[in-house]
Amino acid sequence: MAERVRVVVVDDHSIFRSGLKADLDDTIEVVGEAHDVESAVARVTDAAPDVVLLDVHLPGVAVPAGTSGGAEVIRRAANAVPGTKFLALSVSDKAEDVVGVIRAGARGYITKGSSGADVSRAVHAVAGGDAVFSPKLAGFVLDAFGAAVGETAQASDELDRLSAREQEVMRLIARGYAYKEVAAELFISTKTVETHVSAVLRKLQLSSRHELTAWANARRLL
Amino acid sequence: MEQRTVPERAASATAEAPPRMSRPRACLATGTAAGLADHLGWPVWIVRAAFVVTSLVSGAGLLLYLWLWTLTPWQEGEEKPTRSAPVAWILIVASTVCLIVAWATPGRVVESGGEGLIAWLGLVAAGVALAVGAGAWATLVDRPDPERGPRAELAIRTVATLLLAVTALALVLGPTASWYPVPTFVAAFAALVGIGLVYLPTLLAQWRELSDERTKRIREEQRSEIAAHLHDSVLQTLALIQNRAGATSEVARIARAQERELRDWLFAGDTPADSDLGTDLRDFGAALEIDHAVTVDVVVVGEIRERASGELAAAAREAMLNAARHAGGEVSVYVESSHEAVEVFVRDRGPGFSLAEVPGDRLGVRESIIGRMRRAGGSGSVAPGAGGVGTEVRLRFPAERVNGEAGRG
Repeated sequence: MAERVRVVVVDDHSIFRSGLKADLDDTIEVVGEAHDVESAVARVTDAAPDVVLLDVHLPGVAVPAGTSGGAEVIRRAANAVPGTKFLALSVSDKAEDVVGVIRAGARGYITKGSSGADVSRAVHAVAGGDAVFSPKLAGFVLDAFGAAVGETAQASDELDRLSAREQEVMRLIARGYAYKEVAAELFISTKTVETHVSAVLRKLQLSSRHELTAWANARRLL
Repeated sequence: MEQRTVPERAASATAEAPPRMSRPRACLATGTAAGLADHLGWPVWIVRAAFVVTSLVSGAGLLLYLWLWTLTPWQEGEEKPTRSAPVAWILIVASTVCLIVAWATPGRVVESGGEGLIAWLGLVAAGVALAVGAGAWATLVDRPDPERGPRAELAIRTVATLLLAVTALALVLGPTASWYPVPTFVAAFAALVGIGLVYLPTLLAQWRELSDERTKRIREEQRSEIAAHLHDSVLQTLALIQNRAGATSEVARIARAQERELRDWLFAGDTPADSDLGTDLRDFGAALEIDHAVTVDVVVVGEIRERASGELAAAAREAMLNAARHAGGEVSVYVESSHEAVEVFVRDRGPGFSLAEVPGDRLGVRESIIGRMRRAGGSGSVAPGAGGVGTEVRLRFPAERVNGEAGRG
């Protein structure tokens, strides 16, 4: 965690941006700020940061009904800066606010109520290639992939269901366990936990599972 | 069907308030004659006969009947009025008779000239009016009647429609169409309009429903507009306050409670209104946040059939209260309902405690959580949280227990 991570903060509230900047620890360098979709795309393609802290709800562009400004930024900027990771910031805990952004390509999300230390940790995790899951998002994933009704993936390349191990990891995250606590509980390494979480994130992004799409359609997210 | 309640009511009523005329709820057609008979103290058949006889004097009795029908209220009571006479069918039969007679007499119309023509047109008009009346009666009167209802309404309407359609066809194709084209087509047109009138009450009702629907939609749109606006302004600010004030400070707690309240109000449609276990624990967590320096995160997975009043919910609430009181900070609550069991995990990051260290006379955890679960047929355990930090309470309730309880409840 020693190396400095270059970050662009995208949020339409200047107070929030400055507050967040002040809170982030000194391993994180804020190289740019933006307040709407256009300026965000410009700043991100310019600065090519390691991580973009991205508000889910952004003004400034006539987004097609239902999709969020945050998802739009990812869609427009991701190709220009392949090395950049996106971390969604949401004012709400609601998975439905967030899954649209995740499916657009964000590597995870944290709520705006999180402390500066939490955000910093999440930024480092995302910069290192890991996914950031909150308990709520883990709960949603378990629901959406039918884990509660006993659906388990049989093959490792299956996109529409979670493997038994992934379910265990998600359950523990939903119970409020940190990655290293999950690792200790399951007698696996933290690295393995991160691999499982990344695999789940990939499924969340790529799965065409009925519940996911039906649910997203119902809220006109996709 | 004669109801002799009025004299009794008269006895109990005060002198200056004479008993008011009312129609019995179980009646023949409208209850008007029975009500009047009761009021006057006459046998009901005399009243009926009087109505019929006076109707022959240029319809005076009929007018009086209609007037009384409109203005007389039902007798007081809860049950819906029922009618023993199939009025709609009687009207249909009368209409059929009129129309058949009209259909059978075109020859005589031609012989008797202009006056006969007017009588013939009057007959057709009466037939159409009676069929329309049957339809209206079925819709307005029979439909709410528990003994007839929508099926009777449908039957009447079908018959009335057929009757009018056949009439229109017979008129257009019949001999009168060539003898008196204009009056015949007017009569056929009247029959077609009659078909429309049969359905008019329903169309009106649907129109009203449609405009109600539209009003509702507009309100819904307005609400979501307000929600979007508040989401971008007030909720952001509340999040910022929590962020700047530190997670467990007084200010942050108030901001969080406000945020939750506002969110509940804004997105009220998203959550089911009935109180299941998940909703209940979420509400309880919100209440704890106001009273204690704690943030409670409740995650619910699966379809929760367990009710909020059950033993599992009581034990879970107790565990949450313990965590808020003794640990504080962040508390994670996870509820999962699968085919086999409903499980609740309550996890805090406080100083932690072990059950073995709690003296035997301190019954809080032992009795109210573990004992309660065991007595209810489930199981519970209290253990140090992952990595030895804090405490985790695990509650498990087998699914068949849940279902059994639901079946009884």
